[in-house]
Amino acid sequence: MGFLTILKKLRQKEKEMRILMLGLDNAGKTTILKRFNGEPIDTISPTLGFNIKTLEHRGYKLNIWDVGGQKSLRSYWKNYFESTDGVAWVVDSADARRLADCAKELHSLLREERLAGATLLVLANKSDLPGALTLQEIREALELDGIKTHHWRILRCSAVTGENLLEGMDWMLDDIASRIFTLD
Amino acid sequence: MVFFNLWSVVQWYLRPFIKWFLRKTTRLCELQRICYGDRVGAERTCNIEKSLMLSRTKDVKEVVSFLDSVVKERRFYASNFHEILVPSINIILRVKKINPKLHDAFVPSFRRSLQQIWSYRQLIDEIEDLRRTQFDSNNIEHEEKLLKLWDLLVPNNPLEARVTKEWQYIGFQGDDPKTDFRGMGLLGLENLLFFASEYPQVSSHVLSHSRHPKYGYTFAIVGINLTSMAYYLLKDGSAKTYMFNAKEYLPSINLFHKFYCYLFYEFDKLWIESKPENIMEFSVIFKKFENAIQTELADPASVFRINIEVDTI
Repeated sequence: MGFLTILKKLRQKEKEMRILMLGLDNAGKTTILKRFNGEPIDTISPTLGFNIKTLEHRGYKLNIWDVGGQKSLRSYWKNYFESTDGVAWVVDSADARRLADCAKELHSLLREERLAGATLLVLANKSDLPGALTLQEIREALELDGIKTHHWRILRCSAVTGENLLEGMDWMLDDIASRIFTLD
Repeated sequence: MVFFNLWSVVQWYLRPFIKWFLRKTTRLCELQRICYGDRVGAERTCNIEKSLMLSRTKDVKEVVSFLDSVVKERRFYASNFHEILVPSINIILRVKKINPKLHDAFVPSFRRSLQQIWSYRQLIDEIEDLRRTQFDSNNIEHEEKLLKLWDLLVPNNPLEARVTKEWQYIGFQGDDPKTDFRGMGLLGLENLLFFASEYPQVSSHVLSHSRHPKYGYTFAIVGINLTSMAYYLLKDGSAKTYMFNAKEYLPSINLFHKFYCYLFYEFDKLWIESKPENIMEFSVIFKKFENAIQTELADPASVFRINIEVDTI
């Protein structure tokens, strides 16, 4: 093993990413995180404060921060913005009533300077529920097409069935990686 | 890891010899030694349980699986104890060659332990049922319970509507609590309801703390997180210390509620004492609380009581 390979391996090891999961309360952030980590998802309680999970995926070390979405907690979100590489914005597709609220919170988030450049993955969760809005409806309500400041993508998903969770995460990792690990 | 595996293998082979040796020297079987030697409560009952579970005697194994089947049918209640336990105990007495006339202290002590062990097992099933029942706003009973919770916690101040921001006063997240129970289902609501109805003074004291301008927290949501904690402690067996040391009571849903109330009262105390900067410290303080409770439960001698000293505000 040459010196360069060792150096390369060391760099590989440092491939660490910081991902922030945000969204309104009851969107399913913790459930997605647990599902992604292979933990049981039927005994979850509302998140007060935050959960952190560090997991390895495709050779990357992911630090995923899942912060509670209750209204009184949202003013503390900013404490978690520093050096965030990607934001997973989780939407409850079956909650049409609060979609405007959801759009408002998302857009105020995107104006944050410290999140400039972060990749945005919008997860339209609970898409398997009857009465869930379509991807197009959510895309329009959240005015995603107007976003020019961030790389973004929207995917329908379900934390219960696991649909699209991996696809979403993989897209986000690729996008982040192409931005921050291109020096090799 | 290897060491532990090796040790358990050695134990498996050694256990009969040690038991045989002690039987010969003390002229008592293991169950008797436990009943006479170990302190009544969690220590004794947990050791009885361990001994029964490790037994390789066919008849003892049958008694265990019979009692498990009674639990499965949800028939392990005080009214059936006589019919269920007398034959079971007689089998053990026969197999272990215990003369109940000579050892009249053994039978009641052993019976008590059996009642505790299998009441606990049945309780796990009952709690699991409650937890799995999702809160359903189309169910009148569920709705009535929710409204009753409001009336108990905020008496003389009727809700202005079923869906209203007023719910946040008692610490729900938004304007409709129905989505807040999550994986804890009806159990979360029943716990809160018990706290409010059985300990009105303590719960209103705790609620007033949760409304503190600087150290406030969301009462109901913290409550649901505590339900989750109590549930896990029950399932992994840690709560046996609490349940088996409760002198007058056998493990039951009410005792579980009491355990929850104890946790709520203690958490509130720790939270206020910690003088948290803001609600985001919840995760850290909650973890600290969980560790402290686990340490306490690990000591079979721990006894738990709510020390009601409601300070006047």
